[in-house]
Amino acid sequence: MDADQTSAPCLNRRQLLKAGLGVGGSLLLGGCWADGYGEDVANATRPLNERIEAWLQSKGPGPEFPRSQVRPEELLLNSFNGVPALDPASYRLQVAGLVGRPLSLDLAALAALPQQEMIIRHICVEGWAAIVAWGGVRLADVLKLAQASNLGSYVYFDSADGYYESWDIASAMHPQTLLATHMNGEPLPAQNGAPLRLATPIKLGYKLSKWVTAIRVEPTLMASRKGYWEDQGYEWFAGL
Amino acid sequence: MAVQHNPLWTRWFHAFDALVLLVMVGSGLQIYNANPVFGSRGGATFPQLVTLGGWLAGGRYWHLGFMALFALNLGIWIGLLLQHRRRHLAQLADVVTWRGSQNQAKRRYSAHRLIYTLMLVILGFSLITGLAMYKPVQLWWLSGLFGSWQMLRVFHFATIPAMVALVISHGVLSWRIGGWSLLRKMAV
Repeated sequence: MDADQTSAPCLNRRQLLKAGLGVGGSLLLGGCWADGYGEDVANATRPLNERIEAWLQSKGPGPEFPRSQVRPEELLLNSFNGVPALDPASYRLQVAGLVGRPLSLDLAALAALPQQEMIIRHICVEGWAAIVAWGGVRLADVLKLAQASNLGSYVYFDSADGYYESWDIASAMHPQTLLATHMNGEPLPAQNGAPLRLATPIKLGYKLSKWVTAIRVEPTLMASRKGYWEDQGYEWFAGL
Repeated sequence: MAVQHNPLWTRWFHAFDALVLLVMVGSGLQIYNANPVFGSRGGATFPQLVTLGGWLAGGRYWHLGFMALFALNLGIWIGLLLQHRRRHLAQLADVVTWRGSQNQAKRRYSAHRLIYTLMLVILGFSLITGLAMYKPVQLWWLSGLFGSWQMLRVFHFATIPAMVALVISHGVLSWRIGGWSLLRKMAV
C-alpha cells in the first residue's frame, strides 16, 4: 500500500457515496434552472436536424403496414378544446391564398377526387404510436386542383375548433399526405376529426390537424403564428 | 500532497461524458413523463427532480439537441478503447478471471474492463433504439427489428437503469481499487 492511500482517506466510502449523491442530485436539480436554456440548445441544433430530416424525407415513401397490424385501441385521443360540432351537409373546405383557382369543396366534391388508402404508423410527440388505416384524397391533388402558385412555400390549415397549423410545401405535396375522410375502413369518427383531417406518416401527430375547414397557401411563415403547439414551444418541422 | 493527475484531456473527457449522459437521462425521463412507457396515460411518472426541460417540448430540445453530441462522444470513446483494446476492452478471459481468479487485483481489473465494455454496448444500443424512434419512416428496417413500437420504447428506456447500474458499479469499483487518490486523479 502506498503512502498516498494511507494518508488520503479523509472521507470513508459511505461519506463519499453521500457526497456523490449530493453532487449528482444538485446537477439534476440544476436541471430546473437549465430548463430555460432548452430553447438555446434547440436553436443551435435544430437547423441541422431539420435539414437532415427534409433530406431523408425526399428519399422515398414512408413504410406501410399490413391490415392485420391495425390496432384501433392504440390510437389515443388529443384535443385542446373538445370536439367541435360540424354539419356534414353545410361543410365546405376552403382553399385560398396563393392559388390560381380558390376552391370551396363540399364532401361530395372531395369524394369525387381520386381516393387513396394507406396503413401507416401514426406517431404522437408524447411517445405513443398506433398503426392506422387512413383513407381520403391526396392533399397534393387538392393543391394542384387549386393551381397553387410556385411562390407558395408554406401551407396553413385552420380547424373548426380554432386549432391551426402550418407546413412546408414539400411535406404537403408528399404522396402520402392525405386529407382523410375515412379511418380503418369506416367514415372518420367525430372525435378523430370528422369530416376531414390531415394524415401522413412523415409528421408527428400534432401537425395532423383534425376538423380542417380551410387551407391557405402562403409565401412566408408567420413567426408568431406557426401552429397552436408550435407557438407555445413545440418544434415546427416535426418530421419523422 | 502531490497527486499524479490523469492528463487534462482525459479528465475533461470523463467529466464531459458524465454531463452528456446526465443531460440525455434527465431529458429522456422528461419525455417519458409525457406518456409513461409503463401504463401509458395512467402510468407513474418521474419526479421533476430527475427530469430536464420542464415540459415535453423542453425535454425534446435537450434530448434531440444533445443527440448528435452523444453519438459523437460515443464514437470517440469507442475509437479510444479500440486503440487501447488490449488494456481496456474486455475479452472472454476477463469473465473467467472475474469469476474464478484468486488474485483480487486481477479480478477487479477484469471487472473494470467488463464494465467499460458493457457501457459501450448499452450506450450503442440506446443510440440505435433512439434513432429507430427518431426516424422510423426512413429507418423502418431498424425500427422493425424490435417488434412493436411498445417494445422499441421498452428497449430504449431499459438502457437507463442498465447504465445507472453500470455507473454505480464503476464508481464503487474505482473506489475499491484506488480510493480517494484515484478519485483525485480523475475528478478533482
